[in-house]
Amino acid sequence: MIAVDALEKTYGGFAAVVDSTFSVEEGEVFGIVGPNGAGKTTTLKVLAGLIEPTSGEARVAGYDSTDPAMRHHLGFLPEESPLYEEMTATSYLRFFADLYEVPRPVADERIERALDRLELDHRDRRLGDVSKGMKRKVAIARSLVNDPDVLVYDEPASGLDPVTTNSVLEFTRELRAAGKTVVFSAHNLYHVESVCDRVVIMNEGRIVARGTVEEIRERHGETTYHVYTDVPPAPASGGTEADADAVGDAEEVGDRYRTVVPSMDAVERVRGAASAAGGTVVDIRTREPSLEDVFLDLVGRPMPGRRGGGEAEGAE
Amino acid sequence: MIRRATRRIARRSRRVVRVARWEASRATGGVDRRTLLAAVAFLAVAGGVFGAGAATGTVGLDVDRDVYRVGVDPASPYADAVEGEPALTAVPIEEATLGSTVDLVVREVRGGGSGPADVFVRAVDTPKGEAAAASFREAVDAHNERLMAAESNGTAAFPVVVTLRYVSRGSALDDGRTVGDASTAGAASDADGSDDAGAAVDDGGDDGIRGDGDDVDTGAGSGTDDGDGGSNSGGSVDGDAVDGERGDDGRWFLGGGGTGDLAIPSIGGGAFGASSTGSPGSITPPFPFASLVLAFAFLVPMNFLAQAYGSSVLEERTNRRGEPLLVTPLSPAEIVAGKTLPYVAVAVAVTALIALVVGGGPISVLAVLPIAATFLAATFVGAVFARSFKELTFVTVAVSVLLTSYAFVPAIFTNVTPVALISPLTLVVFDLQGEAISVGEFLFATGPTAIAAALLFGLGLGVYREEDLFTQKPVTRKFLDALAVRLSAVGEGVRESPATGVAARLPRRARGPAAVAFLTACTIPFVFVAELLAVAVLFALPITVSIPVLLVVIAFVEEVAKSVHLYAGFERGVFARTDRVAIAVGLASGLGFFLAEKATAVVQAVGLTELYVGRAAFGSVAGVAGLSPLLLAGLFLAPLALHGVTASLSAVGARRDRTRYVLALAAATLVHAAYNVGVVSLHG
Repeated sequence: MIAVDALEKTYGGFAAVVDSTFSVEEGEVFGIVGPNGAGKTTTLKVLAGLIEPTSGEARVAGYDSTDPAMRHHLGFLPEESPLYEEMTATSYLRFFADLYEVPRPVADERIERALDRLELDHRDRRLGDVSKGMKRKVAIARSLVNDPDVLVYDEPASGLDPVTTNSVLEFTRELRAAGKTVVFSAHNLYHVESVCDRVVIMNEGRIVARGTVEEIRERHGETTYHVYTDVPPAPASGGTEADADAVGDAEEVGDRYRTVVPSMDAVERVRGAASAAGGTVVDIRTREPSLEDVFLDLVGRPMPGRRGGGEAEGAE
Repeated sequence: MIRRATRRIARRSRRVVRVARWEASRATGGVDRRTLLAAVAFLAVAGGVFGAGAATGTVGLDVDRDVYRVGVDPASPYADAVEGEPALTAVPIEEATLGSTVDLVVREVRGGGSGPADVFVRAVDTPKGEAAAASFREAVDAHNERLMAAESNGTAAFPVVVTLRYVSRGSALDDGRTVGDASTAGAASDADGSDDAGAAVDDGGDDGIRGDGDDVDTGAGSGTDDGDGGSNSGGSVDGDAVDGERGDDGRWFLGGGGTGDLAIPSIGGGAFGASSTGSPGSITPPFPFASLVLAFAFLVPMNFLAQAYGSSVLEERTNRRGEPLLVTPLSPAEIVAGKTLPYVAVAVAVTALIALVVGGGPISVLAVLPIAATFLAATFVGAVFARSFKELTFVTVAVSVLLTSYAFVPAIFTNVTPVALISPLTLVVFDLQGEAISVGEFLFATGPTAIAAALLFGLGLGVYREEDLFTQKPVTRKFLDALAVRLSAVGEGVRESPATGVAARLPRRARGPAAVAFLTACTIPFVFVAELLAVAVLFALPITVSIPVLLVVIAFVEEVAKSVHLYAGFERGVFARTDRVAIAVGLASGLGFFLAEKATAVVQAVGLTELYVGRAAFGSVAGVAGLSPLLLAGLFLAPLALHGVTASLSAVGARRDRTRYVLALAAATLVHAAYNVGVVSLHG
């Protein structure tokens, strides 16, 4: 449904997207993640026909992305959703349906259905007077008035409260179930992990990883083992240097001590060190790498707006 | 094929109308209803007062109606003159009592012979009486002019006597005095002395009945220059005669013979003999004040319209509000057309309403529309280029001031010089004065403005895209973007955009030069307007100053027009940065300019080249009669060589960097100015 080949976009001397190639199948939810300035939004705007590529090609629903005919098959949600605030939700959506030449009865039916599903109240209130979440929902409804095959969403849940965020993510899953192809970018990697079938990670305009979340995890992430002991593990006298490295960074967690190691061999060394210290292993947990771990590993810096690199206990 | 094109046009029109309806509802929806009602009520009251005033003659053109009462025999030809002047009211002579029922009495006393009657005019000896006498004299002049204009034999009606006198070119022209000025020569006057340098032309303007207006100025001994004054006494009594006839309650003027500064021109005498000419400082032009003031009324709403339109365009850009529109199937042109249409409709409605109130006709409306379009187009470009409402305010104020000046100032000279026709508002003044307008004059006045408006919209549309609308690029960068987007690749190693439209039918190698030539040709209306404006501004200066300055200004304007888009092409990577490419695009630009420049031959249609400064500005298309074919061919092709060489020079600088471009542009301007001096010298 979407084919991007050797896409490049430069602004003067600045390369926003470099040699980007990927494809998206019909009915797939495809995620693009990356730090600020990675080229996500530029890529999405090329797909939406808003920006002409400097070189390369992007095809959407069988059309070149610069072909105006492509826009009949596309719904686009920009990162921000400033609306015409003097209009009501209904009149605003009708206006856009008119531009897509959707017959009025069909448009009204689609608008009603979208607004019902998105639980949008106050449909006849001026858009300047409704909440940010409401505005986002109206913007999402706008992307559907032409019943497009492809939806390009830039940060669809950005700045929304958790309830609205979940509603938007659930709605995205429903779009997939309805056979729509969805491409979206997100800062929040949990959103990507929970919704996307496949993902590309971009950094400084380039794609640095691609595949399903599992594939990326396997390819770029490491499984770690969290070994909990009742005493600080200490290497036995006469132990090897590897034994010393394995137990060197034990962390006190409540009344226990946690040692993170990369392999089962290291787990056994921690076990030996705990025995040598007069204690024992009380728990061992296996932790699969999250997309965020992989992301941090690949781009070498924390995600914007998130606390830097620390492991969240609840993620285990 | 035709059916498909029709369907496409219909679909596009529907889209444009949809956007227009939305824009109209948005524009009106953004105003509080109470405010809207208050504004409508205010306009209704103001319009009602003005309309009622216009209808009853208390405002507008009728403020000077029926001011003076004139006692005149209804059978007298002077009665027709009085009837034709709104300020005068005719009272039958038998009912006239000077100072009581009338301010002025006109009596014709016929002698025993078959000669013309002596005319005695008596006015109350008060300031009002003097004013009545002055108004009466103007009425007779105007009446004479109408009679002469109605004559089928124009040569007989306006005989011209030419007296050749060879004088050195010099201060007599520069200080605005005329060769053969009646005040110094007492005889022939110069109709357009600034051109003729020694040839004194006298518009006799006498129909054989009376002397003409020249006599009023000369004061004594005139009538000798009146051509075929013949048996008629061409003038009026002198001051002594007037004094001799003064009564206790009024002043007597004798219209039968002699001269005097209070002379009454007689019926049938042409008023065409005005001898004043030169620069505005030395003449007393007949400014059509009433028509000018009313014409100005057409401009006032444009300023408000431009403000509203500019705000609407910029609001689309604020917080990327208009981004979703760009993702719809509508093209930028359709979006902009739809957004603009309501404002054009309002401009038409308001202009028609004003025309209805002030007495203008369809010509006034048609003449004002290009001005409205230019206001909107310039505001559109400004709103697309501006980075904030603060910048937009600056832009709209600048647009308002410049365009209002451009439209209004030349119109002041409506009755003085053809330069006035550079403003469409001059047509409105003509229309309000009830004067006929030729098709050539209409096209000359409205054409450049209308084309400039279209091109400005085209310029703005070039950057009506995501990359420029929603970024904070400086105005200069956006301007270069807007130009570069209209160019095609030239040279190796540069990105080539897919060709569309006419360009797609051209051979690949020809697309780049063709785009350059076309873009250069598109600058011609702006060059033309800028040069006309320079002519209009410099017209007021002494010729010794105005001509050299004009030649340099014109050279600079043309060199910028030929090269600024070349600089944009190099800066935006559309052209490969080699000297070979620079020369190629320079020659293409020169060719485009040369071809388009020929369109300026239209200036001849309205007689602009009769002016000295006009000939200097548009000399290449005027005054080539009498030259040998070889020289004629050389003169014809010389501008092509000039434009090619100078544009290439600028392009070679532009392909390096901005500093080199500026230096090369200066050099090209000097070469061009030197050429201009040569041409003017050759034309004499």
